[in-house]
Amino acid sequence: MDAMDKPLELTLEELRDRIKAAGITIPENRLGMVRKLLSDALVPVRALDTRAAKTVEPAVRFRGGRHE
Amino acid sequence: MSDAIAYSTIRELGARYRSRELSPVEVTRVLLARIEKLDPALHAFVTLTPERALADARAAEEQLRRGDDRPLLGVPVAHKDIYCTRGIRTTGGSALLADWVPDVESTCGRRWQEAGTVLLGKLITHEFAMGLQFPGHRFPPARNPWNVDHIPGGSSSGSGAALAAGFVHGATGSDTGGSIRGPAAFCGIVGLKPTYGRSSRAGVLTLSWTLDHTGPMARTVEDCALLMQPLAGHDPLDPASSLAPVEDYATGLGRGVRGLRIGVVRNYFFEGVDPEIERAFEEAMTTLRRLGAEVRDVQIPSLAATHAFLLILLAEAYAYHARDLREHPELYGDVLRERFLAGALVTGAEYVQAQRIRSEICRETADVLTDVDVLATPTTPKPATPFALAHDPEFGFPRSNMPPFNITGSPTLALPCGFSSSGLPLSMQLAGRPFDEATVLRVGHAYEQATSWHTRRPAM
Repeated sequence: MDAMDKPLELTLEELRDRIKAAGITIPENRLGMVRKLLSDALVPVRALDTRAAKTVEPAVRFRGGRHE
Repeated sequence: MSDAIAYSTIRELGARYRSRELSPVEVTRVLLARIEKLDPALHAFVTLTPERALADARAAEEQLRRGDDRPLLGVPVAHKDIYCTRGIRTTGGSALLADWVPDVESTCGRRWQEAGTVLLGKLITHEFAMGLQFPGHRFPPARNPWNVDHIPGGSSSGSGAALAAGFVHGATGSDTGGSIRGPAAFCGIVGLKPTYGRSSRAGVLTLSWTLDHTGPMARTVEDCALLMQPLAGHDPLDPASSLAPVEDYATGLGRGVRGLRIGVVRNYFFEGVDPEIERAFEEAMTTLRRLGAEVRDVQIPSLAATHAFLLILLAEAYAYHARDLREHPELYGDVLRERFLAGALVTGAEYVQAQRIRSEICRETADVLTDVDVLATPTTPKPATPFALAHDPEFGFPRSNMPPFNITGSPTLALPCGFSSSGLPLSMQLAGRPFDEATVLRVGHAYEQATSWHTRRPAM
């Protein structure tokens, strides 16, 4: 099951929503390029079963009472 | 005479210095004249430092007279222009920093300086180590000495071009998704991306903290080993810098490959590979077998998710550039600006999931490297890209063979393994266990000694 519960492809509509939420401006003639860039990178993430995936811990390690 | 000096190895150069056949000042003058004559067509240098170079060369000459036997003494080098140089302009290949003169020196720059090298100048980089300069940019992009209509690779574009053109004997590069190995592959030279944490990033402009590596580029594996030596070792100024002990890279180079196990990663790396590259790579494996290595096929299934690395890169790059993108968007190159802005569109959850994918790739790669000593793959799926294609804004980020080893942080060496029918260099990459640069260099050197690709020169 797709753990992110979204289609693998990033739609233009979703891209516009993200741009609005981020408060940035991307010219209309670059939207296709940005959509492809993000869409390709998102495919493996959206295909990931997040419940089966391992965590990314530990974020910190200690040795001798100090951060390693 | 110019070619003989320009393309000599570091060891040859040192021998000629010590026999008084050549002097660092003489070599520096020859190279400065060569750059003046040939670089207008290549744009490898963004800043030349002739006065500094001659001062360094005179100092090296004095040290040589005193019997100093350091291998890099009097060796001409240049830095990728994301390495801060105290008192020397450091542009990052960007209009934003076009006139910036840092008051700090990168740790790598300082270490090469302390090793006695001669600094000829700064080498153009893709803008902020990410964006090829489009026509009209403040800085023209470097061109490939093998064919100026093709890119030299990036982002260490000037480093690759300068080495192939015989302008320097060593150069620094940086590698976030292949920026040392790509130019090495496209320019027919050698590049070493060391283990993450082996070589300091202090004083080097950031692209993506968790993926950025610094390292040397040269024309032979031995030159790369000699140049790597002073770069290796802990630096308190880089939080990722490792305390792991440093091996002597040059000493073990000649031990050969008999008994070593080389794993050819058959999934991911051969998708869409040009037949000429595949043929050259398989011939290289035949050569390594003949030299006594055991070559076998291996699989790293999680590499299918490699492209998620771009989410990490974009999010981290945006975090670094957000303020300048907001305040000076007009000073970022066309296309690069929108690529960096794309990092603002990566959600926190997606960044974390990409890091989880990364952990899985690291785990599987480490497992495979318990069965073999070194991994081998083609460095790039295709030879150098024509500018006409690379300058299409829609060209984007083609699938690449290099990010897997930025994800894992593995030491990885790119070296020539042939030429295409159109005369462009072809390359293979060798990746090893963490901090085992020595074995990767040893395999590369054995292959190089059995072949002659590294002796070919572009017609200029």
